[in-house]
Order: sequence, then structure tokens, then C-alpha cells
Amino acid sequence: MKIRKVVLPLLIIGLTWSCSNDDDGIQVPMGDYADGILISNEGPFSNGTGTVTFISEDLSVVNHGIYNTTNDEDLGNVVQSIGFTEDEAFIVANVSNKINVVNRFTFEKIASITNGLNNPRYFIEANGKGYVTNWGDTADETDDFVAIINLQNYTVEGTIPVVLGPEAILAKDNTVYVAHQGAWGQNNKISVINTTSNEVIKTLTVGDVPNSMQLDTSGNLWVLASGKPAYTEDETEGVLSKINTVTNEVEGNLPFESTQHPNSLNLDGGDLYYHLGDTVFKQSLTSTSLGMEMVLEGVSFYNMVVHNGRLYGTDAGDYASNGTLTVYDVSTTLAIKSITVGIVPGGIYFN
Amino acid sequence: MEKKQILLFFIGLLSIGQIFGQKDNVIVLDEVILSDAKLLHFSKGTKVSVVRDSVQQKSGATLTDLLRYNSNIYFKENGYGMVSSASFRGTNAQQTAVVWNGININSQLTGQTDFNTLIPGNYGDVVVRSGGGSVQYGSGAVGGTILLNDSFKFNDGWKNSLRTSYGSFNTSLLAFNTSLGKEKTSFQIGVNHIASDNDYKFLGTDRRNGNGAYDQLNLNANVGFILSDQQIVKVYHNTFIGDRDFSGTLTAPADENYRDLNHRSLVELGSFNEKRIARLKVGHLYERYRYFPNKERKEFSYGQANTFLANYDYKYQLNRITLNGLIDLSTIRAKGTSIENANRDFVAGTFLLSHDLTDRFNYGVNLRKEVVSDFKSPFLFSLNSGYEVSKNYRLTINMSKNHRIPTFNDLYWTGAGASGNLEVLPEASWQLELGQKLRLKNITLLLNAYSITTDNLIQWRPNEQGIWMAMNVQDVSQYGLELGLDWKKKWGNNNVVWESEYSFTKSIDNSTDHQLLYVPEHMLRSNLAYQYKKVVAFCQLLYNGSVYTTTDNSDSLPSYTLGNLGLDYHGPDISGIKFILGVKVNNIFNKSYQNVAYRPMPNRNFQIQLITKF
Repeated sequence: MKIRKVVLPLLIIGLTWSCSNDDDGIQVPMGDYADGILISNEGPFSNGTGTVTFISEDLSVVNHGIYNTTNDEDLGNVVQSIGFTEDEAFIVANVSNKINVVNRFTFEKIASITNGLNNPRYFIEANGKGYVTNWGDTADETDDFVAIINLQNYTVEGTIPVVLGPEAILAKDNTVYVAHQGAWGQNNKISVINTTSNEVIKTLTVGDVPNSMQLDTSGNLWVLASGKPAYTEDETEGVLSKINTVTNEVEGNLPFESTQHPNSLNLDGGDLYYHLGDTVFKQSLTSTSLGMEMVLEGVSFYNMVVHNGRLYGTDAGDYASNGTLTVYDVSTTLAIKSITVGIVPGGIYFN
Repeated sequence: MEKKQILLFFIGLLSIGQIFGQKDNVIVLDEVILSDAKLLHFSKGTKVSVVRDSVQQKSGATLTDLLRYNSNIYFKENGYGMVSSASFRGTNAQQTAVVWNGININSQLTGQTDFNTLIPGNYGDVVVRSGGGSVQYGSGAVGGTILLNDSFKFNDGWKNSLRTSYGSFNTSLLAFNTSLGKEKTSFQIGVNHIASDNDYKFLGTDRRNGNGAYDQLNLNANVGFILSDQQIVKVYHNTFIGDRDFSGTLTAPADENYRDLNHRSLVELGSFNEKRIARLKVGHLYERYRYFPNKERKEFSYGQANTFLANYDYKYQLNRITLNGLIDLSTIRAKGTSIENANRDFVAGTFLLSHDLTDRFNYGVNLRKEVVSDFKSPFLFSLNSGYEVSKNYRLTINMSKNHRIPTFNDLYWTGAGASGNLEVLPEASWQLELGQKLRLKNITLLLNAYSITTDNLIQWRPNEQGIWMAMNVQDVSQYGLELGLDWKKKWGNNNVVWESEYSFTKSIDNSTDHQLLYVPEHMLRSNLAYQYKKVVAFCQLLYNGSVYTTTDNSDSLPSYTLGNLGLDYHGPDISGIKFILGVKVNNIFNKSYQNVAYRPMPNRNFQIQLITKF
């Protein structure tokens, strides 16, 4: 969520909210967070803290605000995402310009990274380092960067300047791919970073506003771009692009209709999944055209992840109350369970 | 100043009945001098209270500070001195109208007023009119209306007042007011400057309010001429210039800055005789904000609106019946970073009737219809009645339909991730109120019960594409009870005034029955002043109940009790110059509290003040 975009309208408008969720999660004594689902909740917009919800693998145990419970402090304002190493979780608080590093299984705090970040978005580990996309100052379109995190002392040890609006980040061996959604504006680039030299070795052009990426087992990088929205008065279509990670060339582009703006690209069981309007579609990896095979209809997700035959979709409700996570069986398309999580649930991860 | 007067004027919220009670003595000229005579004739079944001039001198500089301790309005402040919005009787920020000399000055862009951008110091009394008032005061007069009226004093000589104060966080105030009242001419100018580093401690942390400094300049200038025994002309002007860094929260630092600029000008020509008063007003309102997301950089976003208005008001007295017809014309032009040139033209016709059926029984019928260029506005009315059961017991009832119109942001906002919605409808609100007032020798007891139902509440929500839009998504209801108790006692050189008010407020989402955000169910305030000869000691107490911070009522802010303590010494006259020296301790319990989540308010702080009158 491009959170600060709406902060000003909110601030000035002085929004009032309405309500949609009122069921309570199941409260049980604290357990180990080793096997289960982690939900990062952005938290309220302009004042407050994000939280992390733990849900056990069998969906029976729900623990709210596990960072606060474990460490007796707040995560920070607008928890954008969580990135992982083998044993650690890096929880990115965007407006607070802060990353809290915890043991991913106990959630005990290891360190806070507060220096060298400016509007941090997403974390990935590659080649023994952490890489974090940063918008920089949102008024400056040329100061965007990827921060390099030293994973021994948890400090920012360097930066890699990149083009406007780095967002999603993904690693293939020692190469890091950054999708440039465009921060407050729009961009259409993928940066290819060599993590040995820590340089951008190539910048590829894909569809407008690339929002999510997946790597398949054959080494292809799939990039889903939503296209420019109508309010830009230069509306463009969404595009699904396939990138060869050996040559780092775009091998194919599958365009949507000009008013179709897909997001949330997922890969599970050899198929791609994405969200478009109120529908989840499936796309074969081998297809040379958009199959538009419907999986779920009449759903609206704030974020969605497909994992081991299940679809996990979040609903932020009115953005001023606890949201929900609904788990579906992809094969039967039936909802298995709905669980109350935190305010504006934006990230879904598996521990 | 005489000792008696010192205290008589000290404490706020005297009933309007006390100032306007002897209607027979109010001569026509006195009425014409008033900038808002609607209050005099057409609010008789309504709860109206006056916060006295002298209370202001003890209540900080802004309208937020004044009303926090002298009304039952809950203020949501994004840190002390920052954006401050009102919740009056459980309604939202757009449902309280602020009226300047009879003109509604809520922002055309946001529909609300930031109560930290209004400096009441030069207006004299501030009037709080509870309940619906859209017929008289237009959009947003749902929970209530705050009236700021300039006063014109003819035959009053030359008077000057200089108020200086200094206190914690390098907070300084300088206010100078001069007025000259001759037989046919009245002139007044008031200037206030308030500045503060505002770097108070966040209690319980090692942090301070690092980006909260503010600097504000306010000017009021008014001139009036009595042209003949049938004509008067008055000119009003107010300019406010505000420069604030916006405070961060407990979880995020801030580097923002926000600048306000407001100009308000009004020319009024009045023509009158014993039976009729005709007034023609022509005015211009200008509002502009500039928001710097990073104050170290030059980029900013802005919004501005120009309102040109004309208003013709004809009042006729027919024995015991007062009739008043008004026609309002206005044209509003707004633009900004997120609003391309947008215009609105507006005509409103209002009819007001008040009938004193007997000396003890009055009723009023008020009607209003607006025709607006960019949406359909509902027909509005109010019915009210007052009955004096006995000499010291009075009953009032009123019923009204009020509205809150879509703002320019609601309709025309264009920007990344958010969009106005031309389909949005005005909010329509119905309400009923019963009031009782019992006045005994030393005690005044007030009891008001009300109920409000609002349809089509306008809220910003994301649509299917995730674009935030204004929508009519909710129906809400408020009901509540207000109990006021004033007590006065004098003996020897001692004089005590104690005034308290408790309010119970339910404000619920009709579809979920949850209490709305940031509405305390319970509030209690109590102000006590004790005078002995030339010394006045006073204390202000405020209990603010818990408020919910999420719409599913899953999270809340705790309740808190605040106390302020002050001491004033009224010095002897020195060659016609009067001095009042005061000291005040705010938040004497050093309570850590927030009225918006994660935005702490100040710790215990001190202030000294010198008022010189000559």
C-alpha cells in the first residue's frame, strides 16, 4: 500500500470510518511460532503501530500482536512487509523508517535497524547479505535505492542507487531482481543487481506498474504489472512478462485489456495465480496467451497468497478495524476458515 | 475593575437567558449592532451558552483550549497545537459548524474547522449553541455551532488591553487590542501572536515532541459607522496566518510542516426602524493551506478556496411575532494540487418565525431550502418552543432536520490512490431535544436530553479498485444526556463560583451497534473559582472517558483526568492603568494522556501572564 499517498488526504479530510468486522479471534496461550502462518498487519495509517499475527498450521491457534507480546514494544508505523533469512525475520516499518530483526520462531528481538533507511519497503536475503528496497524521499524521484544490510551486525553497510519506486524484490542465486512499481508515481522497470559487485547490471522494461514477481523451476522470472490506473488519465493495460534469468532478456509479454489491472502474482503447483477485479485467475506456465481460467469469483482481497493448494486472502475491511484472513481450498474453491487478524493485513508468510 | 465584577465575569457558560433575558430593554440599535441577531430571536428552544471574555484569559490562546474546559466538546488533537477537530454530542468533525459574524466558515475543502487555527481573544464572548442549527447556520450545524461575533462598542471611549504571557516550552503570547467608541463611530483592532517550541516530553519515554513548533498571527479589525438614525454600516475583517511543524507519533518521527492562511472580510449595511431591520451583507472568505511533507525541501501540496457571498436579511416585528426572511447567494471557487478548478454556486432561502404567544410561552418555526449547482440539497426545518413553567423553571423543546453537504474534497479530489465522487449525497440528520432549567438562589441546574439520527454519512473508503473515495456508507445515531450545575456564593470578602457539567454520549453505527471512534461515553468537567479581595484562585478539572480507536471497538484509549490550577492577582489602579498578574499550572497531575492514539499531549507545564488595561 502506498501509504503516504493517502495520509495527506486523510489528514486533511479528517476521515471517519465505518465498520465491517466484529468476530473475535480465538485466544489461546502463547506458543512457539515455528509452524504456522505469519500475517503482517500494517496498522492504522497516520498514528499507531503495525502488528504480526501468528496462526498455527491447522488454523486452530491464533496469537495477536506477537512482537509486542514478546518484546513489550511496538513494531512501528505501517508494517509494510516481512523478509526472512533462515532463522530471522526482518519486519519492515515503512513510515517509522525502521526494521526490527527477530528470531523468526520465537519472535524475540535481535536488533533494530534505524539508520540508513528511507521509506523501506521489502527485504530479501542474497549472497550472505540483506537487500531492502527504499523509496527515499518521496518528493525526490532520483534518490531511490536498495540498502545492503550486514547480517552479522544488522547495519546498513551500503546502498545501490536505482530508478524510481523500487518495490518487490526477489533473489535468484546471486542475482537480485527489483520491480519498480514507481512509488507515488508509476514506473515500468526491473533492475537486475549483481550481489557480488553490488551494482545494477541491467535495467529491463516491462509493463507499467510491476507489482509482483515469481520465479519458476525452469529459471524464468514472471512479472505481473497492473498498468497505469484510470486516474492518471493515461490508463494502460496490465501485462504479464516472462524474463529469462540466464540472458536477463524479456522473452514475452502477455497484455491484458486496457482497463484490466491485475495484481498479486503467485506460483503454486506449477501454475500462476493472480487477482483481477473480484476474481482470482489461473495461468499455465506454458501457455502463450492469457488463459483467464477463473478460480474464485466475487472476492476482493487486500493481498493474496497461494500456497500448497490453499489460497490465503486478506480483507482490510474499513481499514480502521481488525481485518480478516480467509483460507480457501483451491481445488474445491470452498472457504475453509475465516480468522480475525490485525488492522490492514498486508503480508502473508509461512514459517 | 470592581471586585464583584471580577468574579461575576469570571466563569463561563452563563445562560443566554441572562444576557438576552430582558428583551424589552433591548433597543433596536443594540440589535442592529449585533452581527448575528438570529441568535437573539430564533434560538429560544435551544441550549445556548456563553463563554465569557474573562474566561478566555485563563484558558490558553486557541479555541481548542478555551472550549476543552468550557464546553462538552471532545477535541481530537494530533498533538498539542496541531490539527484539532471537534466531536460535539458524538458527531464527527464535519458536523460542527463554526460561524463568524453570522457566516459559516467551515473549510470548503474539508467541511470542518481546525480549532487550533481560530484565536478567540478579540471576539469577546464565544457562544456555544448545542444541537441542530442548519436552518440558521447552514451545513455542518448538526452536533452544534460555535459562534464568533465581533462586537461594536459605540460611546465607549478609548480602551486598550495588552496581554503578555510566557511559559514552558518557550511558549509566548502577545495580544494587543485597542478600541475606540464614539457616538457615531466604532473602531477596533486586535492582534495576537502566539509562538512555541512545543517540545514537551512524551511521558514514559525518553523522547520529546521534536517537530511540533508553531507560530501564529491573528488580526481582527472592525469599523462601524452610524450613518443616520436609520442606517448603519459595519466592516469586519479577520486574517489568520499559521505556521506549524506537524508532530510525529510515538512510533514515527515527523518532518512535516503545514501553513494556513485565512482572510475573512464582510461589509454590512443595516437599515432599520422600530418595526423592521434590513441588512445587506457582502463578504469574501479565502482559505489556503500548504503542506510540506518534508520541511527541509521546497515541495508542497496546497489547496485554496475563495467564497464570494451576498446575503439579504429582512426582519419584521408584528406585535408578538418576529418574522425574518433571508436570501443567501454565494459562489465558491476552489483549486489545489489535488483539485482542479472547481466551482459551486449556491442560493439559499430561509424563513424564520418566532411567536411569543404569552409572556411565558414562545414557539418558533424555521425553514430553509438551498439550491446548489453540484448536488441536490434537502429541505431543512426546525421547530422550537420554550415554556416558563414558573419563575425559576423553564422547559424547552426543539426538533430539527439538518444537513452536512459534500465538500470540495468529497466531490472533486483527484490524486494518486484517492478520488472525489460526484455521486455523493448530502448527509441528512434528524434530531429532537428536550431541555429543563431550574434556577434557584445560588444554583442553576440544566438538564438536556437529545437524540440525533444521521443518514448517508459521508466517509472515505476504498472502492473495488482500492481507490479511496467519498461514499455514503453509514447511518449513525447519537443520543445523550447533559447535566449542568452552577453554584455561586458570596459572603464577606469571599466569592465562589463553581460550575460543572457531566455528559453522557452514545454515538453508534446503526448497522453494528458499535460506539463510533473517538467519542467518550462519559465526560465531566468542573471549574471552581474562589475570590478573596483582589486574589482569585481557580481550578479546572476534566474527566475524559475512554474512547474507541477502532471501528470494531477492539482497541481504545484509556480515560484520564486533567487538572489545571491558577492564581490571579488584580493589582491596584496606577494612574488609570489596571494590572492582572497570573500564574497557571497546566496538567498539574502530570498525567500522560492522548486524545488521538499514539499522539501524546503535554506533561505538566507552567505559564505566567500579565494583562494591562488602559
